[in-house]
Amino acid sequence: MRKIFAIFWKDTFVRFTSPLEWLFFIILPIFFTVILGAGTGPSDDQRVKLYVVDLAKTSLSENLFSSLTESNSVHPVLIELNVAVSEFDERKVSTVLIIPTTFSQENVINNRAELELRQQPNNMNALIAQQAVQAVLSRVSSAVDIANASVAKAESIEGFSFTSNDARQVYYNQALEQAQTLMNEAPVRMTEVEADTADPVSYDPRANSSAGQLITWVFIPLIGLSAMFAFERQKGTLRRLLTTPTSKAVFLGGTIFGQVVTALVQMLALVLFGIYVMKLNWGHSLAALAAMLVSSALAAAALGTMLGTFVKTEGQANGLSIMLGMVMAMMGGCWYPIELFPQTVRVIVKALPTSWAMQGMLDIVLRGQGLSGVWLEALVLLGFALVFFVIGIIRFKYE
Amino acid sequence: MPPILEVQNLVKNYGNFNAVKGISFDIKQGEIFSLLGPNGAGKTTTISMLSTLYTPTSGDAVICGHSVVKEPMAVKQCIGVVPQDLALYEDLTARENLNFWGQMYGLSGKTLSKRVDEVLEQIGLVDRAKQRVKTYSGGMKRRVNIGVGLLHRPQLLFMDEPTVGIDPQSRRAILDSVKELNRQGMTVLYTTHYMEEAQELSNRVGIIDHGELIALGTQAELTKSVGETDTLTLHISEEEDPETLAAEIRKVKGVVRADVTDHEVTIITPSAEELLAPVVTKSNELGIKIRSVDIREPNLEAVFLHLTGRALRD
Repeated sequence: MRKIFAIFWKDTFVRFTSPLEWLFFIILPIFFTVILGAGTGPSDDQRVKLYVVDLAKTSLSENLFSSLTESNSVHPVLIELNVAVSEFDERKVSTVLIIPTTFSQENVINNRAELELRQQPNNMNALIAQQAVQAVLSRVSSAVDIANASVAKAESIEGFSFTSNDARQVYYNQALEQAQTLMNEAPVRMTEVEADTADPVSYDPRANSSAGQLITWVFIPLIGLSAMFAFERQKGTLRRLLTTPTSKAVFLGGTIFGQVVTALVQMLALVLFGIYVMKLNWGHSLAALAAMLVSSALAAAALGTMLGTFVKTEGQANGLSIMLGMVMAMMGGCWYPIELFPQTVRVIVKALPTSWAMQGMLDIVLRGQGLSGVWLEALVLLGFALVFFVIGIIRFKYE
Repeated sequence: MPPILEVQNLVKNYGNFNAVKGISFDIKQGEIFSLLGPNGAGKTTTISMLSTLYTPTSGDAVICGHSVVKEPMAVKQCIGVVPQDLALYEDLTARENLNFWGQMYGLSGKTLSKRVDEVLEQIGLVDRAKQRVKTYSGGMKRRVNIGVGLLHRPQLLFMDEPTVGIDPQSRRAILDSVKELNRQGMTVLYTTHYMEEAQELSNRVGIIDHGELIALGTQAELTKSVGETDTLTLHISEEEDPETLAAEIRKVKGVVRADVTDHEVTIITPSAEELLAPVVTKSNELGIKIRSVDIREPNLEAVFLHLTGRALRD
C-alpha cells in the first residue's frame, strides 16, 4: 500500500509541476460549463416581444395588459408612446399595441372602443403578436358580451328594473368580473403532445452543461492514462520500475488509483461549482452521486489503461485520448441533449461509457433520482471498467 | 564461496532473430565483471534478462541463490540496476527522485531518509538536492541515475553502459565511483563497448558478439589466449588503396594477420618494433604514403580483433 501511495504522490507532483495543468484541471471546465450552460437550449423567455402603450389607463386596459402577460406567444412590455414609436421606426420591435384614451368600458359597451396595432411588414413575429392580441381581445370582448347579455337578460325579466344607472353599472361590473374569472379558469384549448421519450422533465441547459462538462473534462485526462504509461515507457522509468521489487499490479494499481482520486477531486470541485454557483441540485442523493462519480472515473481510467497497451508513444497517446474523449463526450450527449440525435444514433451510443455516465448524472441533477434510479448506469459503467481493465492488464508487459 | 551470479545457457529469441545465443558465465562475490562488445552484441538484452525485465526464451540465471525465471521478486531484492539511458523524473528534485525510488525498493521512514542522505553525499549532490533534475548538467543527471541503483545497498549492481554520451570529466567520475563501490564490497556487472573502461575496471571480462560469449577470462588470460602480440596500425591517405598494402604486408615475416578498416591497416605481430622498418619499406615500394603509425601492446581491442576480424567500434 505504501508503494501505491508513493506512485500516487509522484504522479500528482509530476502532473501539477506545470501551472498549465490547472487550466485543464479546473479553469477550462468551469469556463465551458458556464458558457454552454448559458448559451445552449432555450432562453428564459422566447415569446415575441410586444410593446404596449396604455394611454387609457382604465381598469379595462389594465385587464387587457394582464391577459396579454399570460399569453404563451407574446411578451408584453409596457412602454411610453414616444419610445415605442421610435424603436418601432428603427425596426427594433416588430409590433406595438397602442391602447387609446377612448378604450373604456362604456365605449366597449357601445361598440365604440378601438385599439391600434402597428406591425412591421412581412414579419413573422408581428403576425404572431397580432394573433395573440386578437386571442386576448376575443376573451376580453367575450366577457364584455357576457356582461352585456347579463344586463339585457336582467332587464327582460318582468317586474324588474334597475333603480338607477349606477345600479345598472354595478350589476354590469359584477357580471363582467365573474365572466372574466370563469374564462380565465377555463382552458383555452386542450393540447395533447405524444413525445417519443417518456421523460417528463424539461431540458435544462445548466444541468446539461454541468454534467456534460464534468464528464468531458474528467474523461479526457483519465483516457490520457495511456499517455502516462507511454511517458514512463519512453523515459525509461517503467523499465527501471520493473527491475525494483515492485509488481506489475502495484505499479498499475498506484498509477490508476492516483488518477482516479485526482479525477474524483476534480469532479467534486465541478459538482460544488454546480451546487453553489449554478444553483443545481447535485446533492439530492449523496449515495447516487458517489456511485456515479466513482463508476464513471473507473470506466474512463480503465479505458485509458487499455489504450496504454496499444499506443507506442506519448504523442500518439495524447492525440488519441483527446480525440477519443471529445468524440465520446459529443456522442454521449455531453455537449448537446442526446434527444437531438436520431433514434438509431441514440441506440448506437449506448456502446459508449459517456452516454451511460451522462444519463446517470442527469438522473441525479435534473430528475432528482437517488441510488435506485442510477444503479443500472453505475453497474454498466463498472462493467465497462471491468472489461477494459482485464484487457489492459493482460496486454500490459514491458517487452 | 558460491558465485553471486551464475548464468546457465541463456537464450533470447525475437521471432527468428537470436539476440542472445546460449551464453554461460558466473560472477564471483566482490568482482567487477565486464561484458564487452560492440553495439547490438546482446549486452543490454542479457542484462535485461538478468534483471528480470525480459523472460529468457530458454536457460536460466541464478542470482544470490534465486532463479531469475522462478523467483524474480527475490532476485530484484538483491540487485540494483543502472540503466543505459537516464531513468529519472526530471520534474522532481534529486531528493524527491531518490525518495520515490527508495520506496519502490521497499525502504521507508528513517531508513529511507538516512539512505537518501547517504546517497546524495555519495554522488556529491547534497547542495543541489532540492533542485529539479531537469536543471542539472548531463553528468549530474548520470550521478543521480547511479545513485538510484545504490539506495537499497544491492549485493550485485548492474551497470548498463553508464558512460555513453557524457563528457570525459563525468566519465572519469563514474569510473572512479564504480571502483569505490567495488572497494566497499559491491559486486558489479558492467557492460560497455569501450575497451579502455573494461580494461581499467574489470577483474574479468566476457567478450560478447552477435549474442555469443566468444571469450571469457582475466585480461591477462585473454591477451595470452590470442598470443602475446602487438598491434601495429598504419593510417594511410584516403586516395590510397589499403587492400594492396595489406596484401603485401601479409607476406612479410612476423605478420600474424593484417586487416583493413576504412583507411587503416591493422597488423597483429609478436613485435611491432621489429616489423616497423620492413612495413615502411614495403609501402615505399608500393608508393603508398603512410600518414601515421600507432603501436599498441596486447589489449582487449586486439583480442576482439583477433577473434572477430573487426574492431570493437565497427
